Amino acid sequence: MRIGAWTAAVLAGAFLAFLAFGPSLGAQQIVDPGFESVGRGAPVLVDVNEGAGGGRGGRGFGRGADQGTPPGQTPEGIEPLEVDLFTTTDFYKDRELWSDPRYFRCNTSTAIENIWGMGRGSSRLGDDPPRTAAWGPCDRDYPREAIVSPYPFQTAQAHYEALLEETRGRGGPTEHTYATVPNDWNGRYFSSGQHWYNMGRVQIPTVLSVLTPEYQTRMVQEAYHQGVTNKPQWQSQYCWPEGFMRRWHAAAVRDHQILVTPELVQISAGVADNFMTNIHIGREFEMDGVVPRLGADVPRWYGETIGFWDNDVLITWTSNIQGWKVHAATEHSNKMQTVEIYTPYRDDNGVLQGLQQEAIFYDPEAFVEPVRIVRNYAKRSGLAEGDPLVFIECLQTIYEIDGTATPISPGQVIDYKVRDMMGRPWAQIWEEYWEHGMERPEEEDVFSFD
Amino acid sequence: MNRHTHVTGLLGVALVATIVLAVPVKAHHSFAMYDMGATRVFTGVVDRVDPAVNHLGIFFAVMNEARDGVLRNEKGEPVIWTVEMGGSAQMARQGVSVNTFPRGTVFSVALHPLRNGEPAGSREGPMFKCPDRNSRPALGKHCDSVEGHVAIGSGTLPTPTK
Repeated sequence: MRIGAWTAAVLAGAFLAFLAFGPSLGAQQIVDPGFESVGRGAPVLVDVNEGAGGGRGGRGFGRGADQGTPPGQTPEGIEPLEVDLFTTTDFYKDRELWSDPRYFRCNTSTAIENIWGMGRGSSRLGDDPPRTAAWGPCDRDYPREAIVSPYPFQTAQAHYEALLEETRGRGGPTEHTYATVPNDWNGRYFSSGQHWYNMGRVQIPTVLSVLTPEYQTRMVQEAYHQGVTNKPQWQSQYCWPEGFMRRWHAAAVRDHQILVTPELVQISAGVADNFMTNIHIGREFEMDGVVPRLGADVPRWYGETIGFWDNDVLITWTSNIQGWKVHAATEHSNKMQTVEIYTPYRDDNGVLQGLQQEAIFYDPEAFVEPVRIVRNYAKRSGLAEGDPLVFIECLQTIYEIDGTATPISPGQVIDYKVRDMMGRPWAQIWEEYWEHGMERPEEEDVFSFD
Repeated sequence: MNRHTHVTGLLGVALVATIVLAVPVKAHHSFAMYDMGATRVFTGVVDRVDPAVNHLGIFFAVMNEARDGVLRNEKGEPVIWTVEMGGSAQMARQGVSVNTFPRGTVFSVALHPLRNGEPAGSREGPMFKCPDRNSRPALGKHCDSVEGHVAIGSGTLPTPTK
């Protein structure tokens, strides 16, 4: 069997990861494309559902039953830093420490998000917060090698075009009709299993290592305000847009509805707001703008997507995305683009069990190299049964009062500051109220003409 | 189909197209909040473009008469005005978008101001974008006087009433 160079490298990496993380781990199963592809179907090096982190219900270490060391105590064998996230007076000055998990007391991003007791379980801050904030397990992480893309492409365009060329070599793309399009895709699905972007099974420095310096700062800024000042600014709490990356956030999407036609595949989902991905089959992007796009030169909250079929596999390219943020995860820029591959998996009788979504993210402003998320949509039912998809309308009840998210009852009168929604409104709140005395990096002053 | 029917059909298509294009703006909010009998003309520096579907808005700092800085309040903060215009897709086709009007862009616009005196208005007539930040208008002038400017829309800047 011929093995390409990158396949060999991936297998070698998987073997090393296997050695590092113990015999209980194995590579997450990825649907075999049936041939060695230039850009899809590469094995996931480490199954995030096994061993990399425990936690009740698989929600990651530092939470639930796997909370690490009790508050106020240092894990055995660990030398704490003189300054860390919970003792610093200015996290901006601690950049050299951000690469050390001890700076975050080995807590994941979601563990810090829950450290005040927001989620299940009690507060992990101890008797003298934040100084006595608890530690997570320092011996657990998810390898960077399993986060970054295994493919050699540096742009979504190059990746998509390589897959298209490969498909042409195989006699495609498949031009489906209503008679041939995979109609069994129509139905309701739920996103199953964990992946690294849920942020419950990966140390923060590992995530920071795939981010550019500016986006590292942004992620640490949020960790500080979730874990220390307790001023979370979740996008949905104010009925703000959810943003593109929330499609991969466990709390944001549960049921999915998929509709398939020869010209358009539509994926709908959403819990706090609506997500709609319209995949325009056989179309091409306009390439004369800042980013590839289908319509007008206006960034779209969930981008614009084109795609093609390789028999019953759907390959897509999404561009023209509005930059935004997911809480406890990374921010992304207007330069974000993705290549996503939807591969069906079936039982021995050929009955569709679900779709595997392999997504590769290209954002040169946010990521130092492309990253990948693999997850499954398990098919729950067809369209003729079950509860209908719910369309969400968010009516705001929580407002920012003096920099704190506050539920407001009808009849109350409040002072309300309108935020610059295109200028990181969450950060505006933190910086105005909760970073006094800190030396934030200066932004370019566009209003001076010296 | 006879010629009369054909022409009627074309007019009908044009009417529908006009309504379709106009609906996003008029469907969103009443314009009675603006004093359509008043006109103010500004040269300003873009703070942010909000590409809202129904109305693209530009938040801008008003430049001083010397065109070497922006007006500031007693706290030293720039005085920010808002000018709203057509929907973001419509404006993008005219050349106004987050990409073509990045933060710091110098441009000139006329607007009908709010009746309540707050710093906002509805765009009137064309806009003019200065070629770059170093090519700013002379004292009291606007970007339409700067060589190499970009015109958005046709005509000239309206005469201010105030």
